[in-house]
Amino acid sequence: MYCISDQQIDFILADLHRKGIQIEGLQSNLLDHICILIEENLEEDGDFEQFYFTTIKTFYQQELREIEEEALFLLQFQHHLRFSRNQFFLLLFTIFIGPFIAGDLLWLINSVDSNGWNLPFEIWGATVVYSLFPLLILLVLFLTPERQDPLIPKKSTILLGIKPFIKIIPARA
Amino acid sequence: MTYSPELLKGTLKTIVLKLLTDNKRMYGYEMTQRVKELTLDKIQITEGALYPTLHALEADGLVKVEIEYIGKRVRKYYSLSPTGKAKAKEKLKELTNFVDTMISLLDLKPKLD
Repeated sequence: MYCISDQQIDFILADLHRKGIQIEGLQSNLLDHICILIEENLEEDGDFEQFYFTTIKTFYQQELREIEEEALFLLQFQHHLRFSRNQFFLLLFTIFIGPFIAGDLLWLINSVDSNGWNLPFEIWGATVVYSLFPLLILLVLFLTPERQDPLIPKKSTILLGIKPFIKIIPARA
Repeated sequence: MTYSPELLKGTLKTIVLKLLTDNKRMYGYEMTQRVKELTLDKIQITEGALYPTLHALEADGLVKVEIEYIGKRVRKYYSLSPTGKAKAKEKLKELTNFVDTMISLLDLKPKLD
């Protein structure tokens, strides 16, 4: 069983800090976890630094700070509703345009009762235009190239809640 | 065979709460090993998923933390708070219902062996 020295503990702590782990509780947990892995798996005459750098790489996908970002994310946005980009636009249209289209259709149906299907062109025209308007916007949104869509990038996640009301998280590269 | 992280993501909080229900207090590494042991290596909790979850549970007051010094380093032992005990029951019930629903939705039959 490998025995970790105080200098090696300082080395790990400094590296965790340098790699973006600032929250003390997270640092303690990661330090203890790494120390146990080293003590249990490294030979007494093994290469500490090499083993450490190999082990720490297994903790993350791209950068170690992902762990801290995830912790902050869970804390800050745990009461927010999470939507995909498609769900978010669907929600927007349902809230803002849905009632208008529903009202327009109801009005159309009521007009049919009194006038039959022989309705003035303006009524049909308005219904068709207003019904297709959301579809047109959706087409523009989904066919716009990535570089021209900086506000809500494709594959991003949208969080709705209180403080902040809305948060857009772009997809990781 | 190990399960994909996506499949486990929504269940991690429940797993941690259940572990702490069955064990008086545990630390992070111990939890990962216990889960590996109980699931015959099929579920491997990653450090990147476990520690943010523990941090959030602590901030929510669902777990209590005791600190022990091991030489120069600190070991954080987690145990359930009274709120955490109630939450553990609630989450476990929810997950059980979810699994039952998935079994009926996917028309799966329990494997007998």
